[in-house]
Amino acid sequence: MLRFLRKHYWTFGLLLILMSLLVFTRVIQPNFGTFGLEALTRAALPFAFATAAQVIVVIAGGIDLSIASMMAVTSVTAAVLMDGASEQFAFVVIPIVLLVGATLGAINGVLIVITRVPDIVVTLAMLFVWEGVALMILNAPGGGSAQWVQGLLIGPILLEFLPEAVTQWVPKAFIVLVVSLCVVWIPLRRSNFGLSVYAIGSSDMAAFRSGVNVNRTKIAAYAIGGLFAAMGGLVLTASTGIGAPIPGPYLLASVAAVVLGGVILGGGIGGLLGPIIAVLILRLIRTDLTLLSVDPNITTIVEGTIMVIVVMAGGFMASRRKTK
Amino acid sequence: MKKTLLKGALLGAMTLGFMSTAMAADYTIGISNTVQGNGWREEMVCAMKAEALASGKVKSLNIAHRNTDAAGQIEDINNLIQAGVDAIVVNPSNPDGIKSALKAATDKGIVVVAVDQMVNEESAYVLSNNQEQYAYLGAKWLFEQIDGKGSVVYMRGAAGASADDDRDKGFKKAMAEFPDVSIALEVFTGWQQDQGKQQILDYISTGIPFDGVWTSGIDNVIVDAFVESDTPLVPIVGADNAGFVGQLNSVEGLTGAAVTNPGSVGGAGVALAIRLLDGEKPADRVVLVDPELWENATDAGKANLQSAADPSLDPEWPVSIMIPNWTNYTKEQIIACKGPGE
Repeated sequence: MLRFLRKHYWTFGLLLILMSLLVFTRVIQPNFGTFGLEALTRAALPFAFATAAQVIVVIAGGIDLSIASMMAVTSVTAAVLMDGASEQFAFVVIPIVLLVGATLGAINGVLIVITRVPDIVVTLAMLFVWEGVALMILNAPGGGSAQWVQGLLIGPILLEFLPEAVTQWVPKAFIVLVVSLCVVWIPLRRSNFGLSVYAIGSSDMAAFRSGVNVNRTKIAAYAIGGLFAAMGGLVLTASTGIGAPIPGPYLLASVAAVVLGGVILGGGIGGLLGPIIAVLILRLIRTDLTLLSVDPNITTIVEGTIMVIVVMAGGFMASRRKTK
Repeated sequence: MKKTLLKGALLGAMTLGFMSTAMAADYTIGISNTVQGNGWREEMVCAMKAEALASGKVKSLNIAHRNTDAAGQIEDINNLIQAGVDAIVVNPSNPDGIKSALKAATDKGIVVVAVDQMVNEESAYVLSNNQEQYAYLGAKWLFEQIDGKGSVVYMRGAAGASADDDRDKGFKKAMAEFPDVSIALEVFTGWQQDQGKQQILDYISTGIPFDGVWTSGIDNVIVDAFVESDTPLVPIVGADNAGFVGQLNSVEGLTGAAVTNPGSVGGAGVALAIRLLDGEKPADRVVLVDPELWENATDAGKANLQSAADPSLDPEWPVSIMIPNWTNYTKEQIIACKGPGE
């Protein structure tokens, strides 16, 4: 148990911060309850998927600056396909959009592998390419979404064998998040491929000498990043009911959550849980700043400062553990 | 429900030690805006603060003001609902994307007023600038100035923005009425001063002649670009920004028109929210503020421009800082940009 705690101290630390923030929120706003939790989870969804996309790419030793643009492409694709179509058609749209996302990510990966241009440069260029593609698909906010897709994110879960007193505290959006992430992440962590992703992130030379196909692994990591970005695009369409071609503020937020979540930007180290908790923390800080009616020009300074302090404190703790 | 929310707000306020002494000032109003650092939007927020202060009925404003998308605005509105505000005045990111959050607010008895742009949520009130008419008025005037033939530079706003899309409809409507007018260049300024100026300088340097410029409100820097590069001026259409209105009055050889697009609609939105909280019901759910056109080609137009000019304002601020019959604040109050309790 102690070993487990020590190994995952960063994630537990984040969880502790999240819990304290929830208590703090309840203190400053005694009405904070089921509605608040649901709103928080729904707000966190697009950020969480953007972060998951960034996590896999960063662990593989890369970085993807085009995540928000890929979310825009997939969001407008979903909105255009579902607009005016039957409710059932959405069952076809979702796999198509996920496939589109994976393809966009794979294209990023292929370009990096073939051109040998640094990840940051290729994906910066692709940020503009995907942004343009999104505008070509839909030149202004529009399109539509199936009712049941929108309903997936609204309200608490309904389970007959559990009393309402329990289920009302579990928003549907939370289940959507957990299931979507686990379906991809758990098999990945348990597979050789998952190990290869960590390996090429640590040292691509060592990985290559151990027989890992570095190029193929890298492309696949970017493709999975694209898949998560597509999930982000889908939840954007589901929560707003439309598609918007202008990318939202998800790129920098994803990098922030990755760093705060304990993933090393150099690659090879980190998990998914930490960054997802970090996303919730960052959203809850935003909620608290609104509840406290803090001057909007100061809120971004507060958000940034908190991040720097947490990351610095973490670094300090890590270095002290090493010297012990 | 509203009572418990109000109680919550009061508790929250007490925790912060912001307890107001004036009992007449009772309302808490939430503001949600998704573009930060743009002159027009800053004026809008200042008008909201000034109106809240001038009304004497608002205890505090809770302002969520940042650069974000519709999903982020839903988050902000949900946060404002939890903060226990009595009314929310919102400049919507787009007409459809935030419907669910607006519905959640009105379901809890919160008064919702959308300003500047339309929202397609039946329970919300709308005080919107007529963007299609804005573009149509200016473009039609411009095409008449060049005698219905020639080419114009079409400097749009931000690609993918609803307001830009509406304005494009108005511009195209005017184009359809003047078949001999063509577009020399179509660019998106992103409503950024520096970007717009660079774009027109780039085009001027190609040497391709053109007969006029229509801008979506990035205007004074376009005149600057002509003057600085010693290029003969062509008719230019912009918005009623203080800098551009000043240029229309003073720059030698400049023919142009300013189309009004008041940022003070934000103040009017707060005024409407207060009236609704007081129990007054407006006749219509949607009120469109129609734009006016002030040009310097005629004496009557010149007089309009002279009276509208206000060099004391920031050049990026629209000169129409008040809306008659709606706003109650003074010019000093909007320039001070202070809300209740600040």
